[in-house]
Amino acid sequence: MLFNSIEFLVFLPTVFLLYWTVFNKNQKYQNILIIIASYLFYGWWDWRFLLLILLSTMVDYYVGQRIYSHQDKQKKARYWLWASMAFNLGLLGVFKYYNFFIDSFVDMVSQAGYQMRSVWTLQIILPVGISFYTFQTMSYSFDIYYKKLEPTRNLISFIAFVSFFPQLVAGPIERASNLLSQIDKKRSFTYEQGSSGIKLILWGLFKKLVIADSLAPIVDDIFANYASYPASTLIMGVCLFSFQVYGDFSGYTDIAIGTAKLFGIELMSNFKFPNFSRNIAEYWQRWHVSLSTWFRHYLYIPLGGSRVTKYKSLRNICIIFLVSGLWHGANWTFIIWGALHALFYIPVFLMGRNRTYADNVIAENTYLPSLKELLQVAVTFGLVAFSRIFFRSQSVTDAFSYINRIFTDFTFSSYVHPLGYRMFDFYLLIALFTVYEYLIRKDERNPFKFNSRYTRLFVYTVLVMGILLFYDDGINRSFIYFQF
Amino acid sequence: MRKFILKSVLYVCVILLALEGIVRTFHLYTEDPPRFIDEYGVEKRVPGYRGYAVTGNRNQNFSQFNINSSGFNSAREFAPSTRGFEIAIVGDSFIEGFHQDYRNSTGIKIENLMPGVEVYKFGYAGYDLANQLHLIHAYRNQFELIDQIVIYLNYENDLNRETYTPNHQRIAMLASPVFRIRDHIKLLSYVSKIGIMDSFKGLAVGGNNTAAKKGAYRNNIMVESEDSRNRKDSLRLENFKRLVSQYGFDKSKTAILLDTRKTSNVFLNFCSVEGIDIIDFAASFEASDEPTTLIYDAHWNDHGRTLIAAEIVTFLQNNRTDPALPGKLLTSYKDPRPIPTN
Repeated sequence: MLFNSIEFLVFLPTVFLLYWTVFNKNQKYQNILIIIASYLFYGWWDWRFLLLILLSTMVDYYVGQRIYSHQDKQKKARYWLWASMAFNLGLLGVFKYYNFFIDSFVDMVSQAGYQMRSVWTLQIILPVGISFYTFQTMSYSFDIYYKKLEPTRNLISFIAFVSFFPQLVAGPIERASNLLSQIDKKRSFTYEQGSSGIKLILWGLFKKLVIADSLAPIVDDIFANYASYPASTLIMGVCLFSFQVYGDFSGYTDIAIGTAKLFGIELMSNFKFPNFSRNIAEYWQRWHVSLSTWFRHYLYIPLGGSRVTKYKSLRNICIIFLVSGLWHGANWTFIIWGALHALFYIPVFLMGRNRTYADNVIAENTYLPSLKELLQVAVTFGLVAFSRIFFRSQSVTDAFSYINRIFTDFTFSSYVHPLGYRMFDFYLLIALFTVYEYLIRKDERNPFKFNSRYTRLFVYTVLVMGILLFYDDGINRSFIYFQF
Repeated sequence: MRKFILKSVLYVCVILLALEGIVRTFHLYTEDPPRFIDEYGVEKRVPGYRGYAVTGNRNQNFSQFNINSSGFNSAREFAPSTRGFEIAIVGDSFIEGFHQDYRNSTGIKIENLMPGVEVYKFGYAGYDLANQLHLIHAYRNQFELIDQIVIYLNYENDLNRETYTPNHQRIAMLASPVFRIRDHIKLLSYVSKIGIMDSFKGLAVGGNNTAAKKGAYRNNIMVESEDSRNRKDSLRLENFKRLVSQYGFDKSKTAILLDTRKTSNVFLNFCSVEGIDIIDFAASFEASDEPTTLIYDAHWNDHGRTLIAAEIVTFLQNNRTDPALPGKLLTSYKDPRPIPTN
């Protein structure tokens, strides 16, 4: 079930009302309702995937107990941790990476001059959001192993934690210490939390339906027909893709956080206006924060992080970004995308500027940014957009051809929308969206922070009108990150 | 909780009211003049309505319509006489022309190209050949005075029935309270036009709406087997023959306007053998550098209508002029008085 579907429009109020009325007696009933709703939500795509998620839940619930029971015998605890990782990574391996590795192997052998036909690839569908929930369950086992968490003895709570529908298919990837502890407690409804949730849902829907969905046909067209477009169009295509993917993913996250709030649960922030980042390090502190945090806690720090020699630190950075690329998809394009980010990050790290902007935003104490900040933002946005050529292209060859055209066919021609729409509408939309995001840049959890009730009402109306003005009946409304 | 629900409902109501105001102020909604079935069993619009037809979410196409006293969208009243040269164009929404200002319609374009000619557009969204031939037959007194009839035939859609029956159900449905409410609440009319209501309808009938939309831009080509195509072609030809035998078809002054790219050779050969005149606009559309249809739907745009008008004029010049007096149109009634040129 998609957040932006009519089905969800019926589903959410129904579950919300049941949750706070019929099932309000105690937290156990509420968790049972969360499980039923979540399994219905997930099974809407394909009920067979429910077995997979149930299996993953059961394995990690059991493994969590085992790790905890062997806390004083570190070796045994580690075996159980490895068992959890083997199972979860095995799931990912089979469903997401198996075909990729087989095909890559066959290609490599062919390059060496041997002819080999790939007969071992599997005809399987990638279950929606598998990378998200497997990482979430792994974090549970890790936290118990590192003694940051005690395993829950409540199976219902644990199933609700793994399957909690607002963040099940595309994050934020929650740590058990945050989400499970809330699920284990009795929740009570507060007006402030509910109203804040509704606002985030509205803002997320706007970002998805207006920004992402209206740019999708343009981006699809440019990337599919890049060979016939000049550099000016190709540059515009990749810039618009940056806005599309941001609107799509951060829109999803806002809806997820807003929906969770309606059920009395606070999820972590996942996006903090990454388009205003002043260097790549800041970008990664603002883009897909839950994934970066996961990698930092469970991969970078165990590898030694930055508290090892410079050489090892650089190695760790490379590992993190390459794994992050691979996490996104089983394709060399994602690995190159990750490698590029490592390449952009390393100079910032070597200059010791990777934490410079960790605690402040652009124009922190002023109304307008300085010229230096503007330049920094432009360069960072340019680098990120450039790397997204690989992220969006179907193959590495396509990506290089795309880049090649940018540098060899540097001509300008005005772009005509594939469906004939006036392009000015979209340029204006992006400009207004950027200005609005700049105005609210200090608080990603509160997109309508205006003192006047009338101003808020005006903004709500404009957003809903925007959704109507850019609604396109013929579009595929799925979220980009569902494929990961 | 109660405060939350009450305030949410209040906010929703205020926002809806504001949206209704915006939709009305910027005329984002489209108007659909009421329809009825007259005493001859002809389905048409209620005369006397003037308004605006709007296409697209953001007023991408905005045009005024005018329903004349005969119940059709036209700048002119239909008053055929034995003196002038009148052309009747009968067809569906393409001829009705709600997508173009009524003062710049295909008919007006023909009149501008051929001074002295009067063009009567009997266009109505949803007409097929059964409707068209029934209309010509029902208004035969008028059509006897008309010198040239052009029937617009969309081959794939217009030959699917062998007999005409007035669609009272549709008229009753459009006059039902639900549709009346929709017409009065402009926001509802607007969201219905842009397709949002279709999602609700999809949910109501139990369909998974999002699944059907996947790849909507890419997989819009249907592959049809030859057998199925042949069966359809012979059925369409049979329907054509039955309708013609029921209502008649004056070959001496009737031509069929069609797109040969979308018309079966079986039907084209039949017309050729039977001596039925064809006005084919495929070649001029194909050769056009400019788009010929609107952006948001398949109806002809201004340029497309100009090409259609030019095709009809060329046809008339080639087939309905007096060989002795080049440029002089032959009326079906050999009235000795000259046709006024202005």
